[in-house]
Amino acid sequence: MRHWSPPLLALALLLAIAPGADAQPKDTLTVALISHAPTLDPHMHFERVGILVNINMFDSLLHKNARLEYEPSLATSWKALNDTTWEFKLRKGVKFHNGDTMTTEDVKFSFERVVEPGKEKKKSPQYGNVRAIKEVRIVDPETIHILTDKPFPLLLERLVFFPIVPKKHIEKVGDDAFGTTAAVGTGPWKFVEWKRDQYIRLEAFDGHWRGKPAFKHLVIRAIPEVATQIAEIKTGGVDLIRNVSADIVPELKTHAQTYVSSAPILRVHYVELDMRSAPFDKKLVRQAANYAIDKQSIIQKLMGGLGTQVATVVQPPAFGFEPEVKPFPYDPKKARELLAQAGYANGVDITLHSAFVEFRPVFEALSQMLTEVGIRVNARMWDPGPAWNKFLQAEGKATHGAYGSWGNYSVFDADAVLHPLFHTEPGGWIGKHYTRVEGLDKLIDEGRSTLNQAARKRTYSQIQKLIREEAPAIYLFTQYDTLAISKRVEYAARGDEWLWLFDAKPKR
Amino acid sequence: MSAFLVRRLVRLAVVITGVSLVTFAILQASGDPVSLIMPEAPEADRAVLRRTLGLHDPLPVQFARFVGNAVTGNFGKSFFHHGQSASALVLERMPTTLMLTVFSMGVALAIALPVGIYSAVRRGRAVDQLATGTVFLGQSMPVFWTGIMLILLFSVQWRLLPVSGWESWAAVILPTATLSTFTAPLLLRIVRSSMLDVIGLDYVRTARAKGLSEWLVIGRHALKNAALPLVTVTGLQFGLLLGGAVITETVFAVPGVGRLIVGAIRQLDFPVVQAGVFMLAMIVVSVNFLVDVLYLYLNPQIRVR
Repeated sequence: MRHWSPPLLALALLLAIAPGADAQPKDTLTVALISHAPTLDPHMHFERVGILVNINMFDSLLHKNARLEYEPSLATSWKALNDTTWEFKLRKGVKFHNGDTMTTEDVKFSFERVVEPGKEKKKSPQYGNVRAIKEVRIVDPETIHILTDKPFPLLLERLVFFPIVPKKHIEKVGDDAFGTTAAVGTGPWKFVEWKRDQYIRLEAFDGHWRGKPAFKHLVIRAIPEVATQIAEIKTGGVDLIRNVSADIVPELKTHAQTYVSSAPILRVHYVELDMRSAPFDKKLVRQAANYAIDKQSIIQKLMGGLGTQVATVVQPPAFGFEPEVKPFPYDPKKARELLAQAGYANGVDITLHSAFVEFRPVFEALSQMLTEVGIRVNARMWDPGPAWNKFLQAEGKATHGAYGSWGNYSVFDADAVLHPLFHTEPGGWIGKHYTRVEGLDKLIDEGRSTLNQAARKRTYSQIQKLIREEAPAIYLFTQYDTLAISKRVEYAARGDEWLWLFDAKPKR
Repeated sequence: MSAFLVRRLVRLAVVITGVSLVTFAILQASGDPVSLIMPEAPEADRAVLRRTLGLHDPLPVQFARFVGNAVTGNFGKSFFHHGQSASALVLERMPTTLMLTVFSMGVALAIALPVGIYSAVRRGRAVDQLATGTVFLGQSMPVFWTGIMLILLFSVQWRLLPVSGWESWAAVILPTATLSTFTAPLLLRIVRSSMLDVIGLDYVRTARAKGLSEWLVIGRHALKNAALPLVTVTGLQFGLLLGGAVITETVFAVPGVGRLIVGAIRQLDFPVVQAGVFMLAMIVVSVNFLVDVLYLYLNPQIRVR
């Protein structure tokens, strides 16, 4: 060989200098998220990607185990003293990452920085979650009372993610530093470094009350592109990725380096129907639409089998779920009959909208199924973004329905899906414009205004029977969350979509 | 000559104002950030936030305030990154984007110049044919696709380079290669064709006749005149590269301005989008201004005019 050709030379050079794809050190766990939240301060954002990081650095009063049962965390016990007062006993001797001991003062401070009693403008976007809290009272060094302005049945659910932060430390460093360079909690990992849009580096906290987590280092990388995340996990650059879609599952299931783990989650799919105008102002048409959809086929063919058909929008694991109410069966003949009875023997033309891009095939399939029974759908897919928001602000005018999903913000309670989807008071989702079910608002209000769980259950049972009959939406299915995980890590997907990495262990 | 520069400077100001106006208008047309920030809040809470963010003022007032502040480099605070100034967020990420862009331009030129000259000189030969083919290929591949293909080959298949990130020098290679693949072909084509234009001219023949070495004829005499279009196109390409960086940064998880802007558009974070677009536009316009200045130096004819 007289001389090297340039491309060969370049390749050889590359081989010589490239360190190769990074193999992970044994005691490091690397997770990919699509982005980082704007702050590490657990009270000053409301983003899933931020919560997933926060829960591994901060503890709340309550915790949920992998079976989603309440477990003591910073509170060792709790009980309702009356309809508006809850008592919590605090765990003794819990240390913050900076060595300070957690006290009732820290708990009171944590609530007050979100609730900000007496202030008109609240700085925390999580305020709405706990706005019912009127006062946090220190009873003795181990006991606090939380007082709500009216019965607040969702309190315990809200406290599973309500991190307790160190009062003295925050008063010293200020909110800004706390959220960027000086985050301190009581959780399994402590803060080391945050390179914006690159990684957050955490290190196991020796003084954590549960003991030490199995992985000494936890790195959370921000990788916006899904294809890139998949390439990373295949090459060992990261150990865990979220939201793996059904079409990718087979590939990552059989890959030499990875496995997948799925769990049924709260996220429920539905088509909200505009009851203000024809044809969905007629109950029979709404029911016909429900009969027209072959939910099982969609789950099997488009969701990789990972879905559970539901009777309404209330998910089976949520409090208040009524198993007696059965899903609409697939019955296109009955759908046609109902449509004819409603006066649409020749069918009807409608427009459906969606910005649920990941599930475009589902949207197309259900549009086709509706069209087959005579509800001829013009399916409009939107880019989720500014234009879609504009559409929502226009109250969904000139539409007949919208396909979407709701995840309850991981609150396992019927209220967390019924109120945003079907209550007509301002602040809800598009349902506040669409839904016109006689008496439904009142029932939803009733369900959220008592702590008597038996009474609430009765109310929700009644609501589910009502909305099954009235069908303000086409009810579809609940979804699964699928993680892809490196074979060197043992972990399982959770029903609340949390990444509680204290449970992650090295394999072998 | 100074008149020429003054004209250019005025044009620069006009372009920047235009870019600001267009950005502002598009953002205003794209929706209400408040309902995105507080999706479940009652209207009363939203109204408070709208007032705080200055979004309740009439549009001309908002635009005047924006321009007034922009002149002093103040774009307001990000809606999304609590309490941080939009320009700080952009400036923090600017070195990364500039580095990626400049590297890519460097690599593209390092390929385009020698190969372009060589294929002009050896017109119609194998190298020329190959180069022309590559030009077609390179120009027809969209940046995001090239990026993912490079990841598949170099990271997943051959395990030579990290997939994404910006933590090591190795991580810089693939994004740079992606952008160069996009730019190099165009530059190569310009080098080749302007070289071809020049090579046939009398003065080159004269130089050859003087008995100068081929190296000197091409490198000193021909290249000097062939370089003019190249300078123009390089300046223009710089803007395209910055645009390409937006996509490349997302694919390779590079912590740059482009990725910041993409995120900010999704979140309707007006101040950040405005600051980002404004500063990128400033850079493009400045580079083109520099090109104009360089022209004066390279081409005396303009000086005389």
